[in-house]
Amino acid sequence: MPFHLDPDKLVDLERAAGFVTDGAMVALGGGLSARLPMALVRELIRQGRRGLHVVGSAHGIDVDLLVAAGAVAVCEESYVGFEQDLGLAPAYRRAAQEGTVEIRESCCATILAQLRAAEFGLPFMPVRGVKGSDIRRLHPEYREITCPFTGETLVAVPPLRPDVALIHAPLGDRHGNLHLDQPYVLDERFAAAARNVVATVERVVSTEEVVRAGVTIPAHLVSAVAEVPYGAHPTSCYPAYAYDRPHLVEYTRAAAAGGTELARYLDRYVTGAPTEEAYRKAVGEDRLAKLTTWSASTAAWKELFA
Amino acid sequence: MSFSIDEWFVVLLARTIRDREVVFHGFGSPCAQVAMHVARRTFARDMLLIEGATYAVNPEPPFIPPTGNDLSLQQGARYRMRFEEFFDAAARGDVDRMFLSGGQIDAYGNTNVTAIGPLDRPKVKLGGGGGGCNLAATVRHLTLWTTRHRSGRTLVERCDFITDMGHRTPEGSRAELGFTGGGPEWLVTELGVFDYDADGHARLRRIFPDVSLDTVRAATGFELRVAGDLRPVDPPSSAELAAVRTIDPLGVRRAEFSPEELGRTFVHGTHAACSC
Repeated sequence: MPFHLDPDKLVDLERAAGFVTDGAMVALGGGLSARLPMALVRELIRQGRRGLHVVGSAHGIDVDLLVAAGAVAVCEESYVGFEQDLGLAPAYRRAAQEGTVEIRESCCATILAQLRAAEFGLPFMPVRGVKGSDIRRLHPEYREITCPFTGETLVAVPPLRPDVALIHAPLGDRHGNLHLDQPYVLDERFAAAARNVVATVERVVSTEEVVRAGVTIPAHLVSAVAEVPYGAHPTSCYPAYAYDRPHLVEYTRAAAAGGTELARYLDRYVTGAPTEEAYRKAVGEDRLAKLTTWSASTAAWKELFA
Repeated sequence: MSFSIDEWFVVLLARTIRDREVVFHGFGSPCAQVAMHVARRTFARDMLLIEGATYAVNPEPPFIPPTGNDLSLQQGARYRMRFEEFFDAAARGDVDRMFLSGGQIDAYGNTNVTAIGPLDRPKVKLGGGGGGCNLAATVRHLTLWTTRHRSGRTLVERCDFITDMGHRTPEGSRAELGFTGGGPEWLVTELGVFDYDADGHARLRRIFPDVSLDTVRAATGFELRVAGDLRPVDPPSSAELAAVRTIDPLGVRRAEFSPEELGRTFVHGTHAACSC
């Protein structure tokens, strides 16, 4: 929200994750199984963060893993799951059913309106939907208002100002200029509405190179940037790599089993892998290299999803 | 030429689209996704197809991947909408049709993708509605679908939670709530096809040839209203089947069906008259 004018924002992952404090409202960039800020998510778990209020549109392993690790108090996404492919999000589902996280499920368009209210510096935005839906029962903060011009009854939703937005980008420079590929999902809106933006990038490059690729999020909105190759794994970060379906299968099985199997996953890939370098080693360099072969041919691309 | 239920089902979904419509699907919806591409490649050449999680306009994907947000779904698109560009267009009323499904669907086309059972301690926490809650209010027509009608748990008297509004909820009708979209127009299930009568109540119009009316009645949790002109569903054309197979070589659509349903196969001329 306020502009960040430090000339050099390059930090390591540990310091980047340090921008998130216990109980913070954290916006998660990316969507579904694409460009989720997974290295930051893993680092938050390693650092033992608790009581987070996570917000976002459609999410998957990022929210589920944070919930599995006990880091989350409130979930305010429009969707958490693995689509038809791998089904419901196991840890999220369990926590919701046991009442150990507060579910404030929302709707993409409502979240968008709330972010815009924050960006505009206004106390609310009106939406036409929501009425008739039980989503309103999860959001007592919504109010009905009468349009002063038409008399129509609309729903007023308050601003959403995340404390920190976590974003993963293919390219960035040390000042914090970020290049993203489409779809940007809510990342641009999060960047403008959040108090701090913390980014990981596949590669830190020169400002000229980011400008050539196109600056999607400008440096003045960014607080810190860390270089983390495969920082979105096991989700995709095109053009570098496709998503790692076998790894997501491994995760969802462990999370569904819970108990020692989930503990083993966390130990192998998160808490017991103290750095992202150790994480990449645990996943396997061959496995990671294979995810970059999508561009060789349609057959090679399809093979990754078989 | 033989074909299976998933192929026929997708073709029926595709046929709810009219040419020159602006059409969108939600993520996690491979059947709707394949259906939109089938329509665009056969009888709806001039529709505006908006991909559900990438917002790519009229892409030509080399294949449908198992996730709704993959680069393959943007291939060939001349333009990719921003997230807000799409939602703004829908809020203005410029999107003609959206596909929606649900873990529960009631007689008035309300859908539940939030939770089964009481909200504070749900029996099953479902994934959530994405953008459906607002989109259902302003998109002109909704095509609903489910591949789990036979379970008896999907078409219910009352949704435990209404995520996306249909024609009428306990709060009132669409007109009373001031919604600009027209609500559900079709409901396609693996047993048959429903439209909605003047009350906004589902009405069976077409039935698959290997399904009896008793089967449909037993699987439907609300009053089964049947149209006077109930007929078997029309068979797929060879062009439609070819489009399904070309667009979805990985068979991602099949993930929506139970293994038992996938055993339902048909041959033109026996169960189904040829419409090639």
